Amino acid sequence: MIPAEGILSFWEYLASRRELLVFETWQHASMVFQCVLAALVIGVLIGLLVYRRPRLAAFATSTAGVIFTVPSLALLGLLITPLGLGVAPSVVALTLYSLLPIVRNTIVGLSGVDRTLVDAARGIGMGRRRILLRIELPLAWPVILTGARVATQLAMGIAAIAAYVSGPGLGEQIFSGLARLGGANSINMTLAGTLGIIILALLFDACFLIIGRLTTPRGIRA
Amino acid sequence: MTGPSAPSPPSGPSGPSEPGPVGGPAPAAANAGAPAGAGGPGGGTAVEPRTALHAPTGRSWRAFLQPLAIIAIGGLWMLYVENSDLDSIAARVLAPDYVAQKTWEHIELAVVSTLLVLVIAIPLGVLLSRSWARPATPLVLAIANIGQSAPAIGVVVLLAVTFGIGFWTAIVALVAYGVLPALRNTLVGLQQVDPTLTDAGRGIGMSAARVLARVELPLATPVILAGIRTTLVLMVGTASIASFISGGGLGDLITTGVSTQRTPVLLTGCILIALLALLIDWLGGMAARLLAPKGL
Repeated sequence: MIPAEGILSFWEYLASRRELLVFETWQHASMVFQCVLAALVIGVLIGLLVYRRPRLAAFATSTAGVIFTVPSLALLGLLITPLGLGVAPSVVALTLYSLLPIVRNTIVGLSGVDRTLVDAARGIGMGRRRILLRIELPLAWPVILTGARVATQLAMGIAAIAAYVSGPGLGEQIFSGLARLGGANSINMTLAGTLGIIILALLFDACFLIIGRLTTPRGIRA
Repeated sequence: MTGPSAPSPPSGPSGPSEPGPVGGPAPAAANAGAPAGAGGPGGGTAVEPRTALHAPTGRSWRAFLQPLAIIAIGGLWMLYVENSDLDSIAARVLAPDYVAQKTWEHIELAVVSTLLVLVIAIPLGVLLSRSWARPATPLVLAIANIGQSAPAIGVVVLLAVTFGIGFWTAIVALVAYGVLPALRNTLVGLQQVDPTLTDAGRGIGMSAARVLARVELPLATPVILAGIRTTLVLMVGTASIASFISGGGLGDLITTGVSTQRTPVLLTGCILIALLALLIDWLGGMAARLLAPKGL
């Protein structure tokens, strides 16, 4: 399906590989979405478990911080040994990187809830679980959501590097461009991959703005 | 400064001991301030968790546990690898001299690019924070945000496609990638300086330049230093990508390990890069603590 390797203009290139590009964009978006969603669930759970115990909270954030400091290429490389090439190491790495902002923001958000409000809720007879679901989580939600937003931006870029371990997504274009350095269409491929990821990142960011607007409790909206 | 406005640029890997939520400075401050503001003053409720989130700090001996552990792990791994059964390919790549040279290249890439980033970003940040440039600030921040969503590998490969491969292209790519977060950090750091303090400076007869040098820059130092630390760690990570375009560095071990299917080589590259990043992050944290003006 790949046409003869003449030098194409960028638009011609986009048109000629439309199906592949759409497919890779979709893969990229869906991988990032699923990984951030997984990280959101895991991260909020971790945050809920530790936020009342300062030592555990410090331990959770610094562990996530260490993972976060490890460069993505190194982590992906380390994951090749146990998980092989392909989707598995990419997904694990993306989820791990997404955890730090989410865990940290969950803890900060939950501990930032005014204690007097929690006391008041207890005073009117709310149970532990109800306080968590009705008071603490809604108040911490904007902060948690900001964490998820940061995680998404990160995951977008790291997903591109994941193509090195044969992960799915637009990184494929960039690495094909690299493999054909100086050859026909190498600029087109790299540009398509890079621009595609930038556009996806901006789209996701816009979605987060909308989600934030829709899910922030009315009383604390800015 | 309350917790939520703590400097943590969203895309950079930030230090494990850095307090505050991660988030773009403006949106995070706006969003994170809301829950605290719902009941009481932000500072009062935010102080408690912030101290709780701190890893052991200060100049006690415990601060040196981390680097010692990092160096020990690195040394032990190298001992283990050098003494394990290696075939000729792996042995050649893992020769101590070669590994040391690659490590040095990696440090060189990270340090040179960080210095260039600072030379560009800090003066630019100072210029953009002057009152006559204020209208341009939102624009620059918006561009910085869009630029941040460009994937590092894309920037690196695009520059290689345009300028050819090699060390200096790698440096250019690293600088291009690192300048925006550093610039944003400088801007945010200078913006959060209390305007009454600069007014007071002008009021006691300081010139604008003196206010900048004696009031604004010292007050912005913690944020700027945090930004330098983030940039350094970011550069260590991105420098591993530089090996794709023949920039050298420890990424070479990873690519060699993958292409020749030698797991020990791959693992050595990964472990050394990870340890280097952690070590540099620690150094950055120490520098930030020691260089910050007293009284803040």
